[in-house]
Amino acid sequence: MALYTLGAGHVAAGIKSREFSAEEYVCQLLERIEKVEPKVNAFVTVSKEALERARAIDKMIRDGEQTGPLAGVAVSIKDNICTKGIRTTCASKMLELYVPPYDATVVKRLQDAGAIVIGKANLDEFAMGSTTEFSRHGTTRNPWDISRVPGGSSGGSAASVAALECTISLGSDTGGSVRCPASFCSAVGLKPTYGLISRYGLVSYANSLEQIGPVGRTVSDVVSALNAIAGTDENDHTTAGGKPAYSLQERKGLRVGLVKEFIEGADLAVAKVINKAVDTLAGQGCRCEEASLASVQYALPSYYTIATAEASSNLARYDNVRYGFDLSPEGYEWNSYFAKARSNFGEEVKRRIIVGSYVLSSGYYGKYYLKAQQVRSLLKRELKALFKKYDVLIGPTMPILPFKIGEKVDNPLKMYLVDIDTVVANLAGMPAMSVPAGFADGLPVGLQIMADEFQEQTMLVAAHLFEQAAKMQRSPEL
Amino acid sequence: MVTKEEVKHLGWLARIELSDTELKRYTSQIEEIIKYLDKLDTIPLEQFKPIVAKKKFADLRSDEPAGFEGDALGTKYRKDGFVKGPRMV
Repeated sequence: MALYTLGAGHVAAGIKSREFSAEEYVCQLLERIEKVEPKVNAFVTVSKEALERARAIDKMIRDGEQTGPLAGVAVSIKDNICTKGIRTTCASKMLELYVPPYDATVVKRLQDAGAIVIGKANLDEFAMGSTTEFSRHGTTRNPWDISRVPGGSSGGSAASVAALECTISLGSDTGGSVRCPASFCSAVGLKPTYGLISRYGLVSYANSLEQIGPVGRTVSDVVSALNAIAGTDENDHTTAGGKPAYSLQERKGLRVGLVKEFIEGADLAVAKVINKAVDTLAGQGCRCEEASLASVQYALPSYYTIATAEASSNLARYDNVRYGFDLSPEGYEWNSYFAKARSNFGEEVKRRIIVGSYVLSSGYYGKYYLKAQQVRSLLKRELKALFKKYDVLIGPTMPILPFKIGEKVDNPLKMYLVDIDTVVANLAGMPAMSVPAGFADGLPVGLQIMADEFQEQTMLVAAHLFEQAAKMQRSPEL
Repeated sequence: MVTKEEVKHLGWLARIELSDTELKRYTSQIEEIIKYLDKLDTIPLEQFKPIVAKKKFADLRSDEPAGFEGDALGTKYRKDGFVKGPRMV
């Protein structure tokens, strides 16, 4: 049996009932990784301890000890989330030798639930990008067509899940970085409400926007991961109180708003699949109608102002003195050492730091940053009004199909424009997820579902309902 | 209009050494990006307050240091138990 194709629930149940061992399952995954990695390049690091940990879980089960709901389930972790003893590079030269002395809260919680970290997933350097092309470890390729991008910045997360190299992955989503690759790779990816999941141990890029989020092949797998990691954390004071538990319940008569600005801005091939998705939901008893989010046109400039401003501030900490890459301080003066070391940031990171420095410059603050923060209030107010009328809002996750590697890499603005549908949820701090909606020209299209703050349960109900009716879950041939 | 000198100055403020080729490329790209961000200046937003964090400082946990086990530093440049940095002057 191909154990690497199973979902999280089956894996944990199979291991607990000793139908198969965690060791067998992890061995199969490691073989799979060896086979497909030359094509996909989803991993920065494959964990050397995964097999050992699988054996430990098998032993616990043999000894009759209690194991968690994710017992034995292999997860990949985006390489900007700290893993104790496993190098965490952010796909950057600046952190090529960084081995964190601690686990991020999400990693600790997954491991407490029994999960096994199988490796660190590739990303755009410091999570800045929409294609995973800005990685020091080479581009991750889309498992559905390896000449195309997998989306980004959590491209390694989504590609590793889609290519059956792990069961679940954790990514981070600052402006769509979980949902975009989930959409491009035909996976389920969720960005939670701001404050639902701890960011402790996530390397900061734009902290007022970003959240860690799970990626899986099914809504059920995403729920399992979410239940393990969500909830308050004293190490991240922006987390909300409590520990929610989500389930795959059913609800009749969901009120669904199709955001017309999202569908109007999408390529015809994408719009066609999304319109079919609306029919599918209507066929399941949802009340679907068109809704308008007029201020969406201001979302992207607002997002790129805030993201670059926060990036320029957050990345100021990388001075290469206490950790970093090997560059002797001998012979350098204070400032010239930092300028030399920091010239090793990649192209896109440098570009964003400079744009961020520009918008925060004296005299420009009111013109850019303040306005961008006001747009967030405007968007939030508009969305709040819509969520009085609708349980969920839907549209395409990405306005275009996965494109060829290299197509947009030299035109940063063109690249930024593909985030148009995803940044809204980050600016408003609201939850959103991407669910496989179908294929156009053999390439995946994702349906984005958004809900009001902390209404993840409603969003998951809609996602599960759609998933069950559309039956779009399949795997690429590799 | 974003000039090459401005980009060079911003690079210096951010302590990033930029080569001439980078300066040339970044100047035109950043000009295009800033022009796009200028769209923000066209919206009447006077009635909207900027979004703010909900938590107050009083809600924060107490600021007590908690060390990591073992050697948490990632540099080999050390002397007498200290990390060696570049000289100040």
